[in-house]
Amino acid sequence: MTAEQSDQPDQHPVNALDDVVHQRVRLGILTVAHQARRVEFGFLRTALDLTAGNLSQHLSVLEKAGLVHIEKGYEGKRPRTWLTLTPAGDRALREEVAQLKRLIQQIEQGGSDAQA
Amino acid sequence: MTDIPAPSPGAPKEVLADLGELSRRVRAAQRGTWFPLLLFGLLTLGAVLANRLTFSVRTITSCPDLKGTATECTLVRQGAPGYWVVGLTLAYAATAFFYVRRSRSRGVGTPVRPYVVTGLVLVAVLGATTLWTIRNGFPQPGDRIDFWGLHLDPGSGPTQLLERFTGSALTVGIPLLVLSWVERNRALLLFTLAYLALELAPISTGWAGVATTSPWSSLPRLALPALFLLLGALGFTLAQQPRGRTA
Repeated sequence: MTAEQSDQPDQHPVNALDDVVHQRVRLGILTVAHQARRVEFGFLRTALDLTAGNLSQHLSVLEKAGLVHIEKGYEGKRPRTWLTLTPAGDRALREEVAQLKRLIQQIEQGGSDAQA
Repeated sequence: MTDIPAPSPGAPKEVLADLGELSRRVRAAQRGTWFPLLLFGLLTLGAVLANRLTFSVRTITSCPDLKGTATECTLVRQGAPGYWVVGLTLAYAATAFFYVRRSRSRGVGTPVRPYVVTGLVLVAVLGATTLWTIRNGFPQPGDRIDFWGLHLDPGSGPTQLLERFTGSALTVGIPLLVLSWVERNRALLLFTLAYLALELAPISTGWAGVATTSPWSSLPRLALPALFLLLGALGFTLAQQPRGRTA
């Protein structure tokens, strides 16, 4: 999804959803990072009930899209990976939630409109 | 033209509900409300001891009354001027340290900075007021206080409310309001409002039967908010215990 797409007034909210963000796990990662400001890999894995490999794949997708910033370091002798939301990630999350709300509103206002 | 598949009405609602639940779990992991409440409760209790140790009674023979006539009066002094300034500064520093350590161990960022900054700024204000009192002496009934253009009488109701406000209500209550906002903690907001009411209400301590000339005269005034804070710490500890996972 691009900014131009979301600005079109007649566009169906389904088309305005961003494939990178809309994926359920990635949406969860962005939500946790937004709320926590800074979140550690282990917390994300537990909160989202994922394997380390699966979470890593989703984080790579988000990092390539410029939505999150990943920082690797050590806490004592333990390696740690911390994640923060970039301003683009913050915007993408807000946009996604707004589109989901629009979609719900559209469905509730008239199912026929959504199916047209 | 391709048809847009009809979305399931429950799906987006379910996604938003899941996101709400995730946010709630993150907020729960970030909270450590019990710790500052415990520190403030102990600090308030400690003030009873500080007041007891610094208690002194003097009889002054040339004490002017409200009409300006010299009369005999009893002067009660208690309280180490630096106790609250040093104690609160240490409490805020310890709280910041606690939240940062907790953040590292739990793996979620902490929203505590606005709380600690507000607390330290207000403690600095309290420190300046304490310094002013040390240099100029504590105002006696009948003295006029010039405060930013306001001419206040220490015996008047508004001045006494201002005096109560510039104590623990300002340096503990206001930062706790900030903490309830950054933690989005409605229970803490309600608790803090009750605490502020307790600090600001002109509660008489006559029921305790402790005379104003007693070395323990500050006990009823301080024990009530201290007990309230300690009970709050206990309540929030129990409420914020991590719950066992359901199968």
